Amino acid sequence: MTPADLAFFVLAAVLLASALGVVFTRNPVHAVLLLVLTFFNAAGVFILLGAEFLAMLLIIVYVGAVMVLFLFVVMMLRVDPAKMRAQGRAALPLGLLVAGVLMAEMAAVALSFAALPGAASPAFALPEGVTDARALGRVLYTDFVYPFQVAGLILLIAMVGAIALTQRARPDIKRQSVADQTARRPGDAMEIVKVTPRTGA
Amino acid sequence: MADPALLATYLPVLILLLIAGGMAVWMIGFSLVLAPHRPDPAKTSAYECGFPAFEGTRGRFDVRFYLVTLLFILFDLEIAFLFPWAVALRDIGAFGFWSMAVFLAVLTIGFAYEWARGALEWE
Repeated sequence: MTPADLAFFVLAAVLLASALGVVFTRNPVHAVLLLVLTFFNAAGVFILLGAEFLAMLLIIVYVGAVMVLFLFVVMMLRVDPAKMRAQGRAALPLGLLVAGVLMAEMAAVALSFAALPGAASPAFALPEGVTDARALGRVLYTDFVYPFQVAGLILLIAMVGAIALTQRARPDIKRQSVADQTARRPGDAMEIVKVTPRTGA
Repeated sequence: MADPALLATYLPVLILLLIAGGMAVWMIGFSLVLAPHRPDPAKTSAYECGFPAFEGTRGRFDVRFYLVTLLFILFDLEIAFLFPWAVALRDIGAFGFWSMAVFLAVLTIGFAYEWARGALEWE
């Protein structure tokens, strides 16, 4: 067994254990933190496969941004663990159905990919001396330009949707307007009065 | 498995992770095993400047935190798309360059909308 094999088994074992922890832990914040551990181990597996860029992306996007979002969502919902358990039990049949469908879909994808002619051939491997980021960049912006632009549109829709859903007009709050402040002239605010001595203003 | 020469360059990262993980297990594990544990209600209660705690700590977060993180994710993804583009820019020519320009223009529309709606301001 090479050191890489050993690293794979350790990473895979921790990945599976923390993924189970995500499902079975009672505290949703702990679940989010265990999911972070899961992503770190998945990034390690990606590196073992030579997909360095995907590994870094997993850490930057998922660990750095998506998990922070999950944490805020968990804290925004005010989860009551006891109530959640009762609700979870009520939703168990539906949950099992959804999980079963997802499992079947993933199995279908995995089996059809393995059955694809030449799936294990070196044609799927990276050319010599090319990093995976470069191999990705060579096709993503040219051969796959439409999916790439659709991704941009989806990001735009997500941005507009998030703002439209959560942004409220707050007319009761005083805002600073730098333009108004710098446009204000002395004449707007004060008046210079010439006072003759001993007469009063 | 990837090229062993590539994996060898990640050896320092592996050593760092082992030391960091070992340190965490060491500190938490030993204090769990060796330190005395005699909790009582006063010790385990939340400390709030000598007062009894006013309410539970599961307070609700403002939805604006969610908005800020979501906008952060979107621009994070935009940057993620820029990395392979920058690395492969010599290979993909003018078409690849302008395809990224269109992508950035679309997201700039979103950025302008965000700015105009005041989503970037924390009132």
